[in-house]
Amino acid sequence: MEGENHAVKAVNVLRSRICDPKFIFFDDSPDSNYSKLKFMISSSVTEACNNSILLLGPRGSGKSAVLELVIQYLMQEYPDSISVIRLNGLLHSDDISAFKEIARQLCMEHQLVFSKAASFDDNSQFMMAMLKECGLAHKTVIFVLDEFDLFAQGKQRLLYSLLDAMQSITSQAVVVGISCRLDADQLLEKRVRSRFSHRKLLFLPPSMEDSQRLLMHMLTLPIDSSFPHDYAVEFNKKVQNIIEDRRFKETLNKFLNIDSAVKDLLRFLFCAVSHMDLQTGFLSRENFEIAFFSIQRHPKLEFLRNCTELELYMLVCMKSLEVKEQSLCNFNSVMKGNICCYNRGQSFSSNHYYINVYWLGFRHLIDLEEISFLNFHCLNISPRKMQVLIDYYPICEELLSFRILPNLLRLKQF
Amino acid sequence: MPPSTTPEVVENDLQPFFVLHKASSRIKDRTPTAQTKLCKRNKLSSSPASEKQLRGSVTEECDHHLFQQPQIEAFDIVWTKIESTIKDVLRDLNASIFHDIQQWVLECFNATKLLGEPTISEATRSFPVLNNTTPGKLFTSLVSTRNIEYVDDILTFEELGNFLKSHGFHVAMLSSLEFSLKNGIADCLKALLREFLGGAIDSADISILASWYREQVNYNKPLVLIINDLERCCGSVLTDIILMLSEWVVKVPIIFIFGVATTVDIPRNILPSHVLERLCPSRFMLGTPAERMDAIVEAVLVKHCSTFSIGHKVAVFLRNYFINQDGTVTSIIRALKVACLLHFSMEPLSLLHGRTLAEDQEEGKSSLSPETMLKYIDELPLYARNQMVDHQTKMSMAEGLSDLVTKQKLWSTAVLCLYEAGKYSNVRLLDLFCEALSQDLYLLRSSDCHAGYEKDRGLFSTNDRCQQYPVMQCGGFIGQIVRKVRDLSTGVLYQLIESWGKITADISEVHEKLETLRASVRCEEGKSPRKSSKGISRRPASKISVNIDKNPRMLNSQAVAFLDCLVRNFLRPIEGMPFHEIFCFKNVEKLQLVLIGDPRRRIQVDLLEFHKILKCSCCSKSGNSLVPSRHDSSIMYSLAQEHGDLINIHDWFQSFRSIVLQHKNKRKQTAKQSPSLKKRKDMNGSADQNESSIQARFCRAVTELQITGLVRMPSKRRPDFAQRVAFGL
Amino acid sequence: MDKDKTPQLPVRMTRSSASSSNHIATAEVNSLEPLTINDLLVGGDPISLDDIISSFPGRSSQIREVVRLLGPLNSPMLPLFVYGGPSTGKTSIILQLFRHLNRPLVYSSCRTCHNQGILFESILNQLRLHRKNAANGYSTAKRCERPSDFVNFLREALTNVVNNLKKSENSISNKMTNGKIGNMIYLVFDNFQLVREWEKSSTILPLLFNLHDLLKMPEVGVIFISNTSPDTFYTNMGYVEPVPILFPEYTEGDIRQILLRNQLNQKLYSSFLDLVLHSFYRITNQVSQLSATLKPLYEKYCEPLNDKGKGVAHNSEMNLRLSTHIKPHISSALNEIFKISYISSTEVETQKEEKWKGKSSRSEQSKELGSLDFHMSTSAKYLLISAFLASRNPATLDASLFDSKGGFDNRKRKRKPSEKALERKETLEEEMLMKGPGTFPLERLLAIFQCLVSVAEDPSDNEEQNNNASGVQSGSGDLMSDILLQLSSLCNANFIFKGRSCPIEGSTRYRSTISEDLALKVARSLKFPLSKYLYRS
Repeated sequence: MEGENHAVKAVNVLRSRICDPKFIFFDDSPDSNYSKLKFMISSSVTEACNNSILLLGPRGSGKSAVLELVIQYLMQEYPDSISVIRLNGLLHSDDISAFKEIARQLCMEHQLVFSKAASFDDNSQFMMAMLKECGLAHKTVIFVLDEFDLFAQGKQRLLYSLLDAMQSITSQAVVVGISCRLDADQLLEKRVRSRFSHRKLLFLPPSMEDSQRLLMHMLTLPIDSSFPHDYAVEFNKKVQNIIEDRRFKETLNKFLNIDSAVKDLLRFLFCAVSHMDLQTGFLSRENFEIAFFSIQRHPKLEFLRNCTELELYMLVCMKSLEVKEQSLCNFNSVMKGNICCYNRGQSFSSNHYYINVYWLGFRHLIDLEEISFLNFHCLNISPRKMQVLIDYYPICEELLSFRILPNLLRLKQF
Repeated sequence: MPPSTTPEVVENDLQPFFVLHKASSRIKDRTPTAQTKLCKRNKLSSSPASEKQLRGSVTEECDHHLFQQPQIEAFDIVWTKIESTIKDVLRDLNASIFHDIQQWVLECFNATKLLGEPTISEATRSFPVLNNTTPGKLFTSLVSTRNIEYVDDILTFEELGNFLKSHGFHVAMLSSLEFSLKNGIADCLKALLREFLGGAIDSADISILASWYREQVNYNKPLVLIINDLERCCGSVLTDIILMLSEWVVKVPIIFIFGVATTVDIPRNILPSHVLERLCPSRFMLGTPAERMDAIVEAVLVKHCSTFSIGHKVAVFLRNYFINQDGTVTSIIRALKVACLLHFSMEPLSLLHGRTLAEDQEEGKSSLSPETMLKYIDELPLYARNQMVDHQTKMSMAEGLSDLVTKQKLWSTAVLCLYEAGKYSNVRLLDLFCEALSQDLYLLRSSDCHAGYEKDRGLFSTNDRCQQYPVMQCGGFIGQIVRKVRDLSTGVLYQLIESWGKITADISEVHEKLETLRASVRCEEGKSPRKSSKGISRRPASKISVNIDKNPRMLNSQAVAFLDCLVRNFLRPIEGMPFHEIFCFKNVEKLQLVLIGDPRRRIQVDLLEFHKILKCSCCSKSGNSLVPSRHDSSIMYSLAQEHGDLINIHDWFQSFRSIVLQHKNKRKQTAKQSPSLKKRKDMNGSADQNESSIQARFCRAVTELQITGLVRMPSKRRPDFAQRVAFGL
Repeated sequence: MDKDKTPQLPVRMTRSSASSSNHIATAEVNSLEPLTINDLLVGGDPISLDDIISSFPGRSSQIREVVRLLGPLNSPMLPLFVYGGPSTGKTSIILQLFRHLNRPLVYSSCRTCHNQGILFESILNQLRLHRKNAANGYSTAKRCERPSDFVNFLREALTNVVNNLKKSENSISNKMTNGKIGNMIYLVFDNFQLVREWEKSSTILPLLFNLHDLLKMPEVGVIFISNTSPDTFYTNMGYVEPVPILFPEYTEGDIRQILLRNQLNQKLYSSFLDLVLHSFYRITNQVSQLSATLKPLYEKYCEPLNDKGKGVAHNSEMNLRLSTHIKPHISSALNEIFKISYISSTEVETQKEEKWKGKSSRSEQSKELGSLDFHMSTSAKYLLISAFLASRNPATLDASLFDSKGGFDNRKRKRKPSEKALERKETLEEEMLMKGPGTFPLERLLAIFQCLVSVAEDPSDNEEQNNNASGVQSGSGDLMSDILLQLSSLCNANFIFKGRSCPIEGSTRYRSTISEDLALKVARSLKFPLSKYLYRS
């Protein structure tokens, strides 16, 4: 019973770790991005100069997490000489809402009342004024622009006014752009780029070793009062074994070959941990295997599995029409194809369907989005041209799985 | 596809036409289709405004008769009577079906209640109620109005809505305008909320409806959503709304009523399959327009709710208009109204109507004695009265009028009896009515009935006793009906005679004829049991068989005899009688002019035979030949006749120019005597000035033709060809 | 809160008892007290995991997986993406699981919330425990349109709720119950595939996918429920994929179980399924469709049994009889699958409509030789026919058709059909049929119409004459008169579509999409020889 309690606790700990980026990305080895970023920003804070940095890297490689860590550090290092403004390209890509948001956060920082009614110009002027103030008060304003590339759309007024303000001696600000587009700085206009200091930090996906280290780091329970000592040791030993295990390495390799960002690895871990067996209370290699398979999806195959025989037949007909470079592949032609192939194929010859049955299957295929229309202007569907979004061979394999090989062969040659 | 040559501005050149056609009062304005439909809608709820328009339009038609006040009053009296009658008739037609629908709604409501009533917290919550496993099904009734023109049925659905409201349901009426693609689902949701909640709700959120429905006052009543023209709704929006409502159906038991004009397959055509399976449809049928038409004709023209009636030609015209043009009862009512108005405007004595009618209304007696007539005539204003010279004519006229009225009564009873019989050989009253009105047919009947007598005297050896009645010979619907009556089965015949009894109840001279027939029927009935007893007491079987097959024959022949005397004596069309002009409207041409403009044809005719309109000396003598003094556009159009449907602009221009110039040259010869020098100068001065002016005229003429929708400007693909649009002449 | 005490029923309960017990509930709850945190719970009496599994046949693995991923109490989680075809039990399973776990959730269906503004508002309303009523004019708690505002409001609302949860948990933590709510709150987005059709989808999709990262609140779990697989959600900018869970279509066995679930006579029904299910399963594997189609069939199946097969001595020869009885109906039912069944609706209804319904259903069944059951004016009929011809026949062959009838006056100079065109016509016809109805300009329609009228005039006149001696004639002149009005009304009736203007030159083209039998009906009602004018290959 209480073993189960431990297990539940362990799962909770692991899951909260997985969901907590700060825990994941914290390593202060001198060459880590964390240290570099910390150095850059803190130097610009201490020297009271302006700075602008880009953090680039694939999605879920921990850019913003690292930045958060740095900011956290700075906050407790220089508590009263820093104020942070966070913007997100998803939300504030248009200038109006961006400035509004900046004004709002500034107000919150400095205990001012924020008026929703303030116009665009008011907000921008307010920002400028605040920047000056902060500069005079030797307070560094750190602008965090998440999804930086989205800010680069449109007229880039926000970026321009920010960077332009930073040209003046009085102001004291750091602009940190985060983007998963490696060419983010190429998107900038000339006037903006010229004012942008081209410091970039590249976040690379972890190597095999790194990810293993990460796994260890994530999965080992703390040896302290929170867990009974022997349970924790036992648990860690098992984890150790799993990670050493060759077959596990293969699995991990396979996974990393497909998607290698840290977040993906975490997703993998998450599934594995949530599959942990609460009776025994220990992770096992099977958990990881299961997780691997539950994450690896073949959507087309799944949907082919969902197809009924009828729909598979229709698919094959469309395919064979495409293979024959038929000029028009639409419902009517497929109808003909179906009929002739059913008359050949024994399986359906018992009962001959009318058009609305095919129609049913056809609609279902459309809903499954296995076929799509080429032209949409036409009002009624049946004569529309369409295309099949799946290759020929998976379909054939599915047909094989229905144990109706002879028909399949016939279909292949027609 | 061929090298397609198609209208660039279809809208612009088709609009004026049916606007022209629809309301002759609005020749000038170009309303787009939807609005025309709308104005058509307004027509049917004939507001005083539209009435005035109509009157105005008609005064245009017959402006030489200027309206007098009393006539307008008379018209108002008569028309209000007629209109109210029509309304009642239509309502009675729909009553039963409305009741059925109401029953159905109740049943559906109870059925949905069985799905489980959520508690109020569940109902106002965002996620679906747990304890129903099946996806919600929306009860839907397709009320097929069976007329492709849905104009008639707007009123019907409004009445339906009021009817259901009166039973305490929540009713929302949406039209297809709310289901437009560009505004999407938000628009029609807002409309829905507006209809149910009343007052403007700005956010289109269905949960509002749910929480509104759970208010104490609103709870436990079915919500009915009426959409009166399904065909015109945008499928995708409809799909969205249906799916959404089907998610909420447990919380908000909403019930659809769709008006379907054409076929019940419509939902299958415009909705995808996964939506169809959310609907649980059933079907109701309104009366066909033909039935409504018959009902109206019966009430207004045959039973004479007012003394106003129409002549044969008019009747035939109306019938064709109904069958060929647009089969909407609305337009027929409009036609009747126009006819009525024209009648009053043109016939001074028609004032008598109003009076008689007023009289009728205050004291219920329908037959008009000559004295009362005389009274009315005395009351006539001077301008009308001075038409009849002295007291004698007045007297005779009074006699004639009252006689006429009584005759009309007989006539209508005869028609009704025929119609009653005709129901078995489904003859439509409209046709019968036309036939009964026609004067020449009446004459023909009377003549060949004599012939029939001679013939009958000629042949004795006929065993079919019916043959002797001349009605059998006369063709048309009457003959058809009578022939049907001849071989009706006995039981049906009894019913028929009963219904006749009802009809003729208050017309004595017909009734006692019927009584004799009935008496014979009774004796038949009386005989029949005795006959069977005879059958038991051993009689020669042959006798019995003869007996049996003769008796029904007897009956039938008597029935036919009855009909025959009806037709012979009472079926006198009104036009045959004296003084009928006072009550009867016969002027088809004017009516036609008002109703069917047939603008395309009209325009072309006028362009070709312009001299009929502008009666100038030069053209009238030079018939249809192309005289330069003709109006440019008419010249152009008659030139265009020579080309195919593609007109080469250059040739066209050349021929035009030649015609116009020949005129110029003529003028030159006339201006010979002027000194040569001056002449030359102004010649070549005028020559190029001519060229440019001719081109200008040409262009103007072409544009005129284009505006009238006869010719279209050259398309991009064929810059040098203009295209004829209009065919048919 | 009494909302929790209100008798909520276990899922599989018969309708009757459901309604009855709920009457009491409504009776007592109609007084509106302000909502509390517990209104975020699904509510109802606790249900055990095994009950859920047993009540959803063939879904045990999915259920277990979801439970695992949701994790124990107070354990944060990554976003989940539950997907699978319609009616595979996604939504109800999720809801039932939350009922089982008794944790607060904010559910919003993207179908009910049909644009982002309403979605935002409904989420906020639920979080702020706001109830719309007449008092506040059914207004929402906070108007918000912009994503930026939404995220701010959402964050503050969530923090409120989470704090409340923590407080309440501390308060009740001492007494050991399974009524523990925990301090996680879950946002559930149902019908998520619909978001792709919204007009702002390009911005709202990545926002919702990244919501979890944006909020940076470990106490918030996000669950998407969608009909389509994650890879149909293409966005111009990527996102960290949520954890996918597939709900596959039911297998034949599962469907059998589901259909058997609330049947009175299990044995009878299973034998029935033995007969029919397989052939139906080959067409569709969606439960809703199958149950809808099988219901009437089963009634037919039971007809021979005197009392609807309740507790009949069920034996082999009876079985045989029934099967022989049902055999003929199966294939017809196969083809009836998915028609609107007016017949089904008749049962609910009074005798009087029985007649109507009978008529209608018959007209449904017998498509052939049905007569036109709605009124059209004669000219509209001719126009419809000519439109049908215009879009059925290739335009190059018009002349050869109508000149022979002398319909066209020489004004309509079309190219005489070269034998090339004539021998090309079969292939043309073939393609036309394949491509569906073609489009045609207004002129062509008018021309054909005119010539049809001129052709059909004389016969129509004759029959008019002989059936009606009163000299009633339908002059073609007034047939021609208001074609354009008729055209517009035909467009309104969806018989003729006003196609979008053709690319080469900006001009409207029409297309008639009526089925052939409808055209035949119309022609029959006019006694018009349609087949003479149709090309058949």
